Amino acid sequence: MPNLTIDGKQVEVPAGTTIIQAADKLGIDIPRYCYHPALPVSGNCRICMVEVEKQPKLQIACYTPVADGMVVKTNSPKVLEVRKTVLEFLLVNHPVDCPVCDQAGECKLQDYYMEHGQYDSRLSEVKVKKEKKAFSIGPTVMLDQERCILCTRCVRFADTITKTSEFGVFSRGDHSQLDVYPGKKLDNSYSGNVVDICPVGALTDTDFRFKCRVWYLAQTKSVCPGCSMGCNITVEWDKMRPHQHKKARVMRLKPRLNPEVNDYWICDKGRYNYRFIDENRIQHPQLKDALISWDQAAGIVAQSIKLLQDAKQTNRIGVLASAQLTNEDLFVIRKFFKETLKGAQLDFKVPEKPGDSDDFLIKADKNPNTAGAVNILQADADVQQIVARAKAGEIDILYVFGHDLVKLFGKETVAQIAKKVKLFVYQGSNVNETCGYAHLNLPSSVYAEKEGTFTNCQNKVQRIWPAFLPLGESKGDWEIIALLSAKLGTPLAYQHSQEIFKDIAATIPSFSEMTYEKISDKGMILKS
Amino acid sequence: MNDLLIKFILSAGTLFIMFNIAGLLTWVERKQSAVMQDRIGANRASIFGMKAMGMFHALADVLKMLSKEEFIPEGANKFLFNIAPYLSVTFALVGFAAIPIGGELVLNGHSIQLQAANLNIALIFIFAMMSMGVYGVVLAGFSSNNNYAFLGGMRGAAQMIAYEITMGAAIMGVIMVFNTIDMQALDRAQGAYMLGGWLPKWGIFVQPLSFLLFFTAATAETKRTPFDLPEGESEIIGYFVEYSGMKFGMFFLADLVETVLVAALMATLFFGGWQVPYLHADGFYFPWGGHMAMANLPVVILGVLSFFFKVALFIWFLMAVRWTLPRFRYDQLMNLGWKILLPISLINIAVTAVVITLLGR
Amino acid sequence: MENLDKYFDPKGPFAALRVSQMKRSWKQSNRRELNWWENTYLPMLISGIYLTSKHFFYNVTFHILHLFGIAKGTKGAVTYQYPEMPRPLSSRLRTRHRLTKREDGSPRCVACMMCETVCPARCIEITAAEHPDPNIEKYPSEFILDLGKCVYCGFCVEVCPEDAIRMDTGNLKIAEYSRDSMIYDKKRLMEE
Repeated sequence: MPNLTIDGKQVEVPAGTTIIQAADKLGIDIPRYCYHPALPVSGNCRICMVEVEKQPKLQIACYTPVADGMVVKTNSPKVLEVRKTVLEFLLVNHPVDCPVCDQAGECKLQDYYMEHGQYDSRLSEVKVKKEKKAFSIGPTVMLDQERCILCTRCVRFADTITKTSEFGVFSRGDHSQLDVYPGKKLDNSYSGNVVDICPVGALTDTDFRFKCRVWYLAQTKSVCPGCSMGCNITVEWDKMRPHQHKKARVMRLKPRLNPEVNDYWICDKGRYNYRFIDENRIQHPQLKDALISWDQAAGIVAQSIKLLQDAKQTNRIGVLASAQLTNEDLFVIRKFFKETLKGAQLDFKVPEKPGDSDDFLIKADKNPNTAGAVNILQADADVQQIVARAKAGEIDILYVFGHDLVKLFGKETVAQIAKKVKLFVYQGSNVNETCGYAHLNLPSSVYAEKEGTFTNCQNKVQRIWPAFLPLGESKGDWEIIALLSAKLGTPLAYQHSQEIFKDIAATIPSFSEMTYEKISDKGMILKS
Repeated sequence: MNDLLIKFILSAGTLFIMFNIAGLLTWVERKQSAVMQDRIGANRASIFGMKAMGMFHALADVLKMLSKEEFIPEGANKFLFNIAPYLSVTFALVGFAAIPIGGELVLNGHSIQLQAANLNIALIFIFAMMSMGVYGVVLAGFSSNNNYAFLGGMRGAAQMIAYEITMGAAIMGVIMVFNTIDMQALDRAQGAYMLGGWLPKWGIFVQPLSFLLFFTAATAETKRTPFDLPEGESEIIGYFVEYSGMKFGMFFLADLVETVLVAALMATLFFGGWQVPYLHADGFYFPWGGHMAMANLPVVILGVLSFFFKVALFIWFLMAVRWTLPRFRYDQLMNLGWKILLPISLINIAVTAVVITLLGR
Repeated sequence: MENLDKYFDPKGPFAALRVSQMKRSWKQSNRRELNWWENTYLPMLISGIYLTSKHFFYNVTFHILHLFGIAKGTKGAVTYQYPEMPRPLSSRLRTRHRLTKREDGSPRCVACMMCETVCPARCIEITAAEHPDPNIEKYPSEFILDLGKCVYCGFCVEVCPEDAIRMDTGNLKIAEYSRDSMIYDKKRLMEE
């Protein structure tokens, strides 16, 4: 294995590694535009030039393989001079319309200019104007050819990752411009990723466009709840300037690097799956049409349960848990309904139609925590059976977590259930048709307001973090169950989801030895 | 009958003049302070476009005061609260009765002293009335049921007592020199001359220290800056904090009337009152030997004018002091009154007594 | 607590600092005693009266002369008669804001949010929207400036890349009867 020195630091890397990869391993930052670790090397931007001893000319770090005994300097005066010149060259035709550009604030041109450029403009010629300024190239992305520095990251992304090849560079010299091929549109299920990899503001997100300046955003690490892949994401949100976006909190979702799950990417479905966090939420506990307090709501449920308990008929309780809930929620549900109330009917496997899928990131199972639900709930009842019994009037309390029963079983069935069942509780974050039939609606918080863990289809347990406080009066699902339990006179000893997870690790063998610290932001595989 | 009519005309005239001067003082105060501070001063109120240099502001103020709501705070002693401003104004005005505004007018062989009440204890009377004035302040502060008003009243009482004594002690020198406490007699005594007839024997020349002491103490008596601790507009607002409308206006008026009274006292005691230098009952006798004969009437008129000129001068000076100096601190005020002014005035009495005895008048 | 011990240690590194602090507080609490002559208050009284009287007589002389139409050339020292005679404003004075316009009368502002970001009082609220002309791209659909919160620091003017906001109206009369009417929208900001 070659052993080389970069800026005086020794590093040993496998043969065939490029200098930029070796530098990344050392934590030395070399500026880059066209280089992206997940894409083939193109080597056209020239900003990553470094000085290699005993070589007369500077070399591009992204394409030069390391050799044993190589001595690389990334900060010599010569390198800095070249960087400045390259920046000047790249900026020759850049419009510098940063005030209207959505990339401003996270733009590599801005960053490197402030770090390495800082020259006075020598340009006396008029900038070359491209044909069109901002125009839509597909349902999700806008293209501004003027701002493009022709790094071709997006071209290589479309060629190698999605293999749809929409992009191309047309014309020559300073007239060359990026565009989609004639007649083609950027319309694939991963199109949003080109916005993330574009180092400048040439490709911008139609959805995020002009919604918010990026420096107002706060970031919280999370996991996409869109399907069982569990792509790692960052929830980007803003609460300080509600006037800019009609009081919505989440502005956009960005993929978060996790080489074992989603690498740098995320599908468009997951990327734009955030509106339910702020829209159409249940905000207060509701008995039919009347808003009631949490205390009253818990009292109503506890009273009904108590009656069944006294009559030793706890098997007349039906619970439809959900694989949308976190492991912690599910564990508390199991603890309450299966251990405190022995005999309650509990299952989560609702008969959903499988969604679309591909062989990359999109999975057919649209629940983020199916593996976790299987492992933790260990359900012995069956959803179909519970629904049938409810329809037949053999169930007195039906407790539904977030499922839209109307969509799954049809309006008539649900209306019949609502008539037969004595107490029909719907606990969920968003309003759906089932809410109208439920006797009692309990608002729960969404994933961005919760702390907990999801288990994805690879059996990987991954953490989510709360970005902000629950909307309105909504509470976390396990907190609501804990409230019920306390009302019944059997309080659960949980103050924080971490305590629940400790219990999970202690009682469920596949979770043994896991802690939040160990899971961290990269996840841990379940024990088989 | 005739005497009674004359007395009535005299008292009514004095009251009329003093009221008007006091009313005019609101305008003077505003204008003078403005000019001193490079401003123009009140100049907005107008009647049919006439502004009369802002003189109508006094009128507008009175109208405003009269039309405002009379407010009596809850828990206040209504009787005392209502009577306090009247006490203040009345005692300030009564003092003028004993101030001679002119000499002896002979009308149809009838000799008239131009003094509303021709008392032989005039000075004592005036001092008695002035010290009664403090009741208005104390009662207002006491009856308002307000801590700040109470504090103002207490400060007022303490300050009045401290400076009343000095004031009394200060004029002892004048009384000893002129040997009388009848104001008319005092004025007449000041018609004598010293230094071979060149210098009139006014109080200021025979008792300069006494004048300084009296001036300071009298300023304190008027409760105006730099001695406005009972009011203390910037901190406690003072004894009249709960008063509104014309009752507040009365305190304001009493303040100004006292200013006029003090100015009149200073003119009378130290500047010869109605005396004009070198003017005797039958005309001018100049020290260089000239003589200009005059009838009784013009001599008296000259005397009255001379008195009011002196009063106006002192009012101007009191105003100038009021708009020049900042307020004393409370301990400074008490130090000045008890530790400086009082001992000096006592020494002044002693020295005057010794000198008079040695000269063997 | 160790830090405090170090601070009070007479031989410690803070001893010199403490001595200077003590000296200063001693000076403040022990002002010079007035001497006997000053204690009579006469010198200050006389100099004070002299100063105010000087102004009084100077001004009163000229005011009276002016009444008779004499010496009009020499002014009595008077202040500006404000509502009728406003004081000339410095060209650098920061007064009420305005939004500058393009030639077609639309605001120059491109809703870059620089002013909103830099505003220490958070008094600017901009809502951006897509402009039909792709060469302008972005414009403020709403531009709200709350003068009730504004501290007149002028940062918004400094930071604006398009010279779209200025504080040069010369308008200082912004008093209103309600807080709501202190809130200026785009239209009001574009009127002069």
